[in-house]
Amino acid sequence: MIPELGRFFVLASVAFASMGAVTGIAAGATRSLQGWRWAKSCALGFASTIIIANILMIYALISHDFSVGYVAKVGSLDTPLYFTIVSLWASLDGSILFWGGILGVYVGMFAWIEGDRRREYTPWTLGVLLLICVFFSMLVASIADPFARVDPPLTDGPGPNPLLQNHWLMAVHPPFLYLGFVGMVVPYAMGCAALLAGRLDAGWLSPLRRWFLVPWAFLTIAIMLGGWWSYEVLGWGGYWAWDPVENASFLPWLTGTAFLHSVMVTQRRNRLKTWTLLLLFATFLLTLFGTFLTRSGVFNSVHSFTQSDIGPIFLGFIAVVFCVSAVLVAMREGALEGESGDGEDWVTHRIGRLHPLSRELYIFLQNLAFTLFMLTVLLGTVFPLVMEAWDGTRLSIGQPYFDRMALPIGLLLIALMAIGPAVPWGRMKSDRAVRQLLMPFGVGALAGLATIPLIGFAPYAAFSVALCTWAGLLNINEFVTPVRQRMRSKGESAPKAMAGAFRRAHRRFGGHIAHLGVIMVVLGVTASKGFQVSEEVTLTPGQSVTVGQYSAVFTGAETINEPHRRSIVANVVVHEGGSELGVLKPRLNYYKRQREPIGTPDVRPGLTNDLYMSLLSVAPDNSWAALRVMRTPFVSWIWIGTLVIAFGSFIALWPTRRERDKGRA
Amino acid sequence: MSKSKPNWGVLIGAAVIFVPLFVVLVMSFGRDPRAVPDALVGEPAPTFELLDIDGKPHALADHIGKRPVVLNFWSTWCLPCKQEHPLLLQAPAAWPDVAFYGVIYNDEAVKADRYLKRAGSAYPHLVDPGSAIAIDLGVAGVPETYFIDASGRIIYKHKGPLTEHHLVEILGPPGAR
Repeated sequence: MIPELGRFFVLASVAFASMGAVTGIAAGATRSLQGWRWAKSCALGFASTIIIANILMIYALISHDFSVGYVAKVGSLDTPLYFTIVSLWASLDGSILFWGGILGVYVGMFAWIEGDRRREYTPWTLGVLLLICVFFSMLVASIADPFARVDPPLTDGPGPNPLLQNHWLMAVHPPFLYLGFVGMVVPYAMGCAALLAGRLDAGWLSPLRRWFLVPWAFLTIAIMLGGWWSYEVLGWGGYWAWDPVENASFLPWLTGTAFLHSVMVTQRRNRLKTWTLLLLFATFLLTLFGTFLTRSGVFNSVHSFTQSDIGPIFLGFIAVVFCVSAVLVAMREGALEGESGDGEDWVTHRIGRLHPLSRELYIFLQNLAFTLFMLTVLLGTVFPLVMEAWDGTRLSIGQPYFDRMALPIGLLLIALMAIGPAVPWGRMKSDRAVRQLLMPFGVGALAGLATIPLIGFAPYAAFSVALCTWAGLLNINEFVTPVRQRMRSKGESAPKAMAGAFRRAHRRFGGHIAHLGVIMVVLGVTASKGFQVSEEVTLTPGQSVTVGQYSAVFTGAETINEPHRRSIVANVVVHEGGSELGVLKPRLNYYKRQREPIGTPDVRPGLTNDLYMSLLSVAPDNSWAALRVMRTPFVSWIWIGTLVIAFGSFIALWPTRRERDKGRA
Repeated sequence: MSKSKPNWGVLIGAAVIFVPLFVVLVMSFGRDPRAVPDALVGEPAPTFELLDIDGKPHALADHIGKRPVVLNFWSTWCLPCKQEHPLLLQAPAAWPDVAFYGVIYNDEAVKADRYLKRAGSAYPHLVDPGSAIAIDLGVAGVPETYFIDASGRIIYKHKGPLTEHHLVEILGPPGAR
C-alpha cells in the first residue's frame, strides 16, 4: 500500500509544481491576479504533497515495510529506532526525497509569508521556485524513486551505512546541511524575479536578505557540525581536511558571506546591484555543484555516502540553471542598474565612487577576497580531475595547498573585518580614522608579541592573534560607542542605553556578534591546528602514557554486544596534575555489514584543551590496546564561535520595527 | 518588463568560467575515484580449505591445473546479491568446466541456508569462519567476485552484481571451454 500511496503523492507534487511554475511565470509576465493566486495555491499544494510523501517514507522505515524499495535498501530489524528514522537520508533515493521535503517546507513558507505581498516580484519568484521543484520532484518520481515496490518483500535489510549509525551528530549534520543548501533556492528565485521585473528596490532587498540569512545560518552550523562529527567520529583528531565534500559545503558559504555584505551596500547606497545578484547566483549554483560533488561519484571522499548515476542528470540541470542565470543577468542587468548619469562610466555607475576610508570600499574588497578564496578552493577541488582528463595522471591535492592558500586570504579577511565596521558609510576623515584604528592595532600587535613567550616563535599564530585582537576590539567598540553616546547625550543608565541602542540597530549588532563568533573560530583553528600534541602507544593494563599535562592509565578492555553491533571498549583513567578527571572509553564498533571496525573516539572537552583518545586496535584476548592520545588546545572555541555566528545571524534576522509594521499592514 | 540592452560581457565571462569546468566534469564521468590497481590480479590466489553449508570440505588445490574457479562473495542482507542470484543459478550449467563457489560473507550460515532453500542453489556455498579468505583477498563489500584461472592465478575481480556480459567476457561463450 505504501509504495502506491507514496508514488501518488510524489506524482501529485510533480503536477502541482508544473502547474504552479506555468501560472507563476505567466502571472509575472501578465500581472494577472488570478494567476498569482493559482501559483500560490500550487506552491502550497506542492509543499503538502511532498511533505506527506516524506512522512509516508518515515512511516515505512519505522514499520519495517520491506516492500518499499528504499526500506529494503537501508532498513534493518536490528537498527535502533532513532537511526531507522535517520535512514531517510542514508542513501541516495531517500536523501533526494528528503531534499524535496525540505524544498517543500521552504516553498510552502515562502508562499505563506510572502505570497500576498509585493505583486511585482512574488509571482515571478513562485514561478521560478516551482520550476526548480519540477526538477527535484521529477527526480523522486523517476530515477531516484524510493517507493519502488519490492516483490516479494524481503524479510530483513542491511541497515544504513554504519558510519551514519555511529554518532548522534550524523542525525543532525545532514538536515542542517540540507536546510542550508536547499534554502538557497528561495533567494535565488527572488533574484531571478528582480531581474525579470527589471527592478531591485529596498522593499525587495530586505526580504531577500532575510530569506538568504536563514539558509546561510543553517549552512554555517552544518559546516561546523560536519567538522565536529569528523572530529568526534573519524578518530584522527582533526575536523577539516579539505575533502571535496567538505569543500562542497564551504564554496557556497564563501560567496554567500560575500553576498550578505554586498547586499548591505546595495541597500544603503543603491550600488553593486548586478554584483550582488552575481554573488547570489554563484551561491545557488555552488550549492548545486556541491550536491553534484557528493552525488556524482566523480570525486573521492571519506564520506560521499550516496554515489549514483544521477551525476549526468544533475550536471545537465546545473548547466541549464547556469545558462538561464547568465542570460537573465546579461539581458536584464541594464534595466536593473538604470542609465548612468553625471558623466559616470559603466563600472563607476555600478560600483560607485569608493572613498579610501568608506565602509563600502572595504566591503567590496572583502567581496573580492571571498571570491578569490572560493576560486582557490574550487581550483584545488577540481584540479585532480583536470589533470586526469589532460594526460591521465592521478593526483590528489592535499591539505598543504589549501592551508597555504587559505592562510593569507583568511588573515586578509580578518584585517578587512577589523577596518570595515570601524569606518562609516560614505567617507571618514583620515585623522579620525588613524585615531580610531591605530590604538586597537597597537593592542593587537602587543597581543601577537605576547604569544611568543607562551608558545614560542610561530609567526602565523602571532599574526593571527594580533589581527583577531584588533578586529575583536574594533567590533566590540561598535557596541560600546553607541551606548556611551546615549549615556552622555540622553543621560540614560548603562542598561537602558544598551537596550535603546540595541533596539535602534539590532541588525548591526547581530553582524558584530557574528564577527566576534568568527574571531573565536579563527583563534580556535589557529591554536588547534598549530599546537596539537599527539602520542600513539600500545599499553597493557596498568601502563600509562603522558600527553601534555595529562596522564592516562589503561585499565582494561571489555566487549559490549548490542543488536546492531558489537563493540570493544577500552577503559582509560585520566589524570591531570595528580587529580583524577574520569574514565575515557574509546571504542571500536563492529557492524554486521562491514568487516572493518569503525572507531568512536572519546573526548574530554574543555575550554582551553580537549583530551582526545581513539582506540586503534585491541589484542584478541584484550591483553593490550593501541591508543592514539591527543591534546588539542582551544578546539571547543570553533564550535562555540559558530554558535555565536548563528546567534548573531538570528538577531540580524529579526525584522526591524518598520519591517514588522509593514508586515502587519 | 522594461527593455534593456543586453550585456554581452556577462555572457562571455560566464562562458569562460563555466565551459572548461563543464567539459572537465563531463570527461570525468565513469571514473572510479577509489580505483587503485588491484595488487592481487595476476598473482596466485591464496589457498583455502573450507566447509560448505552442508559440512562438506572444499579446497582450491583440488582445482589447480584442472579448471578455472569463480568465487562469489555474498550475504542474505545484500540486495544486489539477490539481483545476481538468478544468473549465478544458471552459470554452472552454462559453463560446466568452471568450478563455482559462493562464499558467505559476514552472515549466519543458518540464514544463508534458509535463503538458498527458498531461492535455489546450483553450487557449493562455503562458510568462511572469521572472514579469513575474505581478508586474504581483501574483499571490501558484497557482492564481489574473483575469477581464478586453471593455474590458480587471479585474473579478474568484479565489484557489484554480475551480469551475463561480465561472465561471457571473462569465461568466454557459454559451454565453449
